[in-house]
Amino acid sequence: MIELHAVRKVFNAGRSNEFVALDGISVGIESARVTVLKGPSGSGKTTLLSLLGCMARPTSGRILFQGREITSLPERFLTEIRRRSFGFIFQQFHLIKGVTVLENVMFPAYPLGIAHRVLKQKAEGLLEMFGIGAKAQSRVEWLSGGESQRVAIARALINDPEVIIADEPTAHLDSKLSKELMEFVRQMRSDGKTILVASHDPIVFEADVVDRVIEMRDGQIRDRG
Amino acid sequence: MKHFLERHRNILDFTVSSLLRRKAKNLALIVVYTFVVFLVASVVFLVSAIRREAALVLAKAPEIVVQRLVAGRHDYIPLDYADSIKEIKGVQNVKGRLWGYYFDPTTSANYTLMVSENPAIPSGSIIVGRGVARGLLAKENGAIPFKTYDGSYVFLKIKEILDADLEIVSSDLILLCEGDFKRIFRTLDGLATDLVLEVRNHRELTTIATKITQLFPDTRPVLRDEILRTYDAVFDWRGGLCIVVLSGAILGFIILVWDKATGLSAEEKREIGILKGIGWETSDILLTKFWEGAVISLSSFFLGVILAYAHVFMSGFVLFEPAIKGWSVLYPRFSLTPAFGFYQVSTLFFLTVVPYTLTTIIPSWRAATIDPDMVMRS
Ligand SMILES: Nc1ncnc2c1ncn2[C@@H]1O[C@H](COP(=O)(O)OP(=O)(O)OP(=O)(O)O)[C@@H](O)[C@H]1O
Ligand SMILES: [Mg+2]
Repeated sequence: MIELHAVRKVFNAGRSNEFVALDGISVGIESARVTVLKGPSGSGKTTLLSLLGCMARPTSGRILFQGREITSLPERFLTEIRRRSFGFIFQQFHLIKGVTVLENVMFPAYPLGIAHRVLKQKAEGLLEMFGIGAKAQSRVEWLSGGESQRVAIARALINDPEVIIADEPTAHLDSKLSKELMEFVRQMRSDGKTILVASHDPIVFEADVVDRVIEMRDGQIRDRG
Repeated sequence: MKHFLERHRNILDFTVSSLLRRKAKNLALIVVYTFVVFLVASVVFLVSAIRREAALVLAKAPEIVVQRLVAGRHDYIPLDYADSIKEIKGVQNVKGRLWGYYFDPTTSANYTLMVSENPAIPSGSIIVGRGVARGLLAKENGAIPFKTYDGSYVFLKIKEILDADLEIVSSDLILLCEGDFKRIFRTLDGLATDLVLEVRNHRELTTIATKITQLFPDTRPVLRDEILRTYDAVFDWRGGLCIVVLSGAILGFIILVWDKATGLSAEEKREIGILKGIGWETSDILLTKFWEGAVISLSSFFLGVILAYAHVFMSGFVLFEPAIKGWSVLYPRFSLTPAFGFYQVSTLFFLTVVPYTLTTIIPSWRAATIDPDMVMRS
């Protein structure tokens, strides 16, 4: 589904603080599988996820998404691919404060020009699915950690993406909620989603739903799982 | 097309919810902004209305007025001067005018009493300007007492109130017949306050003026052009004052804009980052920011303009009373006829809405061009 060929990512290239975050990564990500990126802090997991998720471009090397070269696409097209094909769950959830849960779930679809009514129904359906339909009109700052997490997952799913990307999704959760999250991952996998997670939490990479663990160190792949 | 409209609808929806979310901040912004527009618009309206009235004054002013000076002061001029002046080549007509100032102690205001040859003003009646009617709280057919030179009173009945379109000139004016004027001021026969001349050729004005001074060294001919200069001086002085007020307002406005420009709050920046991360394009974000700015600046603009209109043309510009005070001795109280055009409103628009919108868009644009992956690093 996603293929990387000799990908390098260099920050501050040519300056004194030049830093090679990814160095010669070549890897293929299979569709409808759960893949976990594992490794110590600073090993380049987040950087790799942002390349896989069309959020950033590599310094060199090639990236193919569904067989199509995306490395040199202009930003507008990358954004277009990203919002149709990728859903993101961020470490801090990154919900927008002061707005309702329902609106937060709907936001990624706003620029797509889907009728408001249709969108609303879809968002309500997702919230029901995650058992927080009753919270639709609450403001996000009133939510508990577990509820915020479900809202973040519902938001990632609103555009029906093929790929779900989650960076350290359990960093702010206790072990009970972390396990619950892995149950949601299982559910999404059975719906045919491709799931990419970066984590150094054993609850994540030791879960039986995980198909493959890629180990990273110093911007390189140590163990391709 | 449908997609385009739905996208806009969704983005407008987001804008409205953002505006409501920061209700206190946005309301404060609207209040300050409205006040600035109100000040600037008041000055613009006032100045343009006064200029318009001044132009009307001048259009009706005689080309030459001849006054007589005695010991450096303005005095009555004998009417037989007029006969000799009429002989000067180029002079078409000469007329004597009788007028004077009357101080009314009850209202502490000065009025201009002027003799009119209008046969519609019989003895015992007057025609007054609006300012007079207002000042004396008098209506048509009301009688007004005038104290005469010897301490007795004459009662003159208001026959008519003058039209409003030339209020600044006619506001303090009282027209009466010659007999009544003489009863109040004891003017001797054969004298006039000044002489007004009609001249055939505008280019001969200075020559005629020189000839008059040669003929009667105790006179001073005043040309319309000189009146124009005096008026200009007066208006320029007022204009200067207005500019002080105006620049104060603009300074305040710049501070406001600067604050808004540099003060895209951390929360707003975080939001922009999140929106980029979840798939919004830079243009989508700019569109919401543009709408936010437009809602705030347009509502403030219209509110400010409406308030200024009411202030200048309906409340008699109470706030600027001190700046206009010098006048109100001459012109007891006048209200301006609305002079309010596309030109003024569009000037105001370009002075306020455009800079505001531009300065708020730029920081938003800078925040919106961050890389989408930044959201993963905060
Ligand atoms: N914009 C940037 N400019 C400079 N250096 C950067 C930038 N982004 C990331 N880095 C560096 O790249 C390296 C890899 O960062 P990355 O966030 O990918 O690590 P990570 O494996 O996700 O770590 P963690 O487990 O702590 O999240 C780090 O040393 C980081 O400091
Ligand atoms: Mg990371």
